[in-house]
Amino acid sequence: MGFDNIRQWPDAENAGQSWITGFRKAPSSVATTTSAWTDYSYYAGSPPANFYASTPLEASVVDPTRGIYVPTVSPATQHLRNLKLMSGASAATSTANSRQGLILSDYLLYYPFIDTDAVGEQQDMTNTTAIPRYEGGQVVAVSQSTASTTGQFTFTYTNENGVSGRVSQNHFTFAVGAGGQVVASSVGSAASYHPFCSLQAGDSGVKSIESVTFTAAGGGLMALVIVKPLMTAYVTQEARRTTSGNLESYGACNEFAAMIHNRPVQIIDGAVLNLLAAGYGGSLASSFLVGLVETTWN
Amino acid sequence: MGWTSQDDLINQITTNGKYGNVFYNKTLSSAGTAGHWQLLSGHAGSPAAATFAGSDLTFVSTDDTWSEGAPYHGGNVSTATKHFLGAGAACVAAAGAPWYLMAIDLVGYVPLSGTNVSTTGTKTVTMTALGGGDRYASGEGLRLFVAADTALGINAPTCVINYLDTGGGAGATTTFTSTASLGIGQLLNSGTAANKYNPFLPMASGDTGVSDIVSLVWSGTAHASGTVVIGLCKPLWTIPVPATGLYTKVDFLNAFPSLPRIVDGANIQFLLFQTGATTSAGTIMVDFDYGYGG
Repeated sequence: MGFDNIRQWPDAENAGQSWITGFRKAPSSVATTTSAWTDYSYYAGSPPANFYASTPLEASVVDPTRGIYVPTVSPATQHLRNLKLMSGASAATSTANSRQGLILSDYLLYYPFIDTDAVGEQQDMTNTTAIPRYEGGQVVAVSQSTASTTGQFTFTYTNENGVSGRVSQNHFTFAVGAGGQVVASSVGSAASYHPFCSLQAGDSGVKSIESVTFTAAGGGLMALVIVKPLMTAYVTQEARRTTSGNLESYGACNEFAAMIHNRPVQIIDGAVLNLLAAGYGGSLASSFLVGLVETTWN
Repeated sequence: MGWTSQDDLINQITTNGKYGNVFYNKTLSSAGTAGHWQLLSGHAGSPAAATFAGSDLTFVSTDDTWSEGAPYHGGNVSTATKHFLGAGAACVAAAGAPWYLMAIDLVGYVPLSGTNVSTTGTKTVTMTALGGGDRYASGEGLRLFVAADTALGINAPTCVINYLDTGGGAGATTTFTSTASLGIGQLLNSGTAANKYNPFLPMASGDTGVSDIVSLVWSGTAHASGTVVIGLCKPLWTIPVPATGLYTKVDFLNAFPSLPRIVDGANIQFLLFQTGATTSAGTIMVDFDYGYGG
């Protein structure tokens, strides 16, 4: 069950049916592309880095320890009560990590080490592991290495209704300096950035991926990751303090409270929570994202 | 009871004077560590630095009269109920920002020193299970952490705490890996590596609180020296502090869920999430106001 009314929320908290977890994720020192998306799960911190390191091309669930911890509460249902976010700057004068669009997601299933240089070769996926928790999700292409140039690919998949043989739109990849960036940008060009791959018309989700075929080489490795987007958020201003001249402090905390700012999204037991982000202000290199996730269950 | 309406609240805290303020400040005695949570009680300031006195492995219950430093918040008000109305915080330090500050009601602690820290194995705790006379009668909502009381020596053992849940059933926290050489107040279970939990230890599936601390079990290579406390607390609220010198104010009247309760006897203490390594001698200022009705 969930909540029938406002009163049940504080009652649940008073009964101990709530949890709070702090997290800190620190992108590497390699520059990320302005306005492109990046995968915070890939970076060091708490929870620890998730490199999608398992057997190539074989479906695998994301290690639960790589997600922001939330308890298991069944038969109750758990809901996000509050998300607070701040981003520390890489240097006293850096504003590059300001203005981040974020998507809190439940990371479900991934296919690692897809060779973006295998032009004309159908790379078949092994599907001995099924998608957990949901019937389907959105597909994110995450770099697992540097990528040297602009590639193009499509993938075939089974949609959320269990229909196999569906074919994605043609996607462009782009050059990146390291793993962790979302390299499949858009169906239009390599310089237009979107978090999720575009599917065959009429489909709203992917249950599993059957194959990937590149028609132009991208010069790297990537993972296709199926996630369930839970809510969107935003970081407005970087947190920093100048160290010369007129000393000035900058920063803001962006808070997203259930019922006030967003619906109280459900977090299913076993969820592997992490965040995707677009750095609209510049590179996220050497910055860090810190936040608090608060949940309540009933 | 609390207030029956906003008009009642305004009447109680103005006409009837059922209102108060609390001010709190601490100066960090050593540099912090990025990604670690830190219990501020053991640092100098107002109230004075706590030393967490007590017999090893014996639970020490604390309340708003705790001689080692509990901020006074007006005493008991039963049968009325007391609630936070708002709170503010600021930090001043050359490094360490941004910060999150969390208010907790520290129900009590278990001190460990000497060979109870410098050797591995099971350390059995003496504690009378919480009951009807306690602030949280069955331990509902209470959480566990382990904090350095004095600076820890080298090595980073793993650790698990066994407890009884709100129904008296046996439970165990998730195993965490400690960190070598932590400073005063830093939480052993927090940090940015694998097997760290920020700031509270995960409990067994379905558990909503802790009524009794049974034992602490160290494994691996023990800390070379130092003293620690197992903390038992109720989380109350959090405040973000984005940068040094900035003051953040939170309104609990219009937030959701609103008006966190201060139960009679609450020992209000603070945890600080240092997302960078806060400079030694960094200062933390907190204030909150409260009201009560009935």
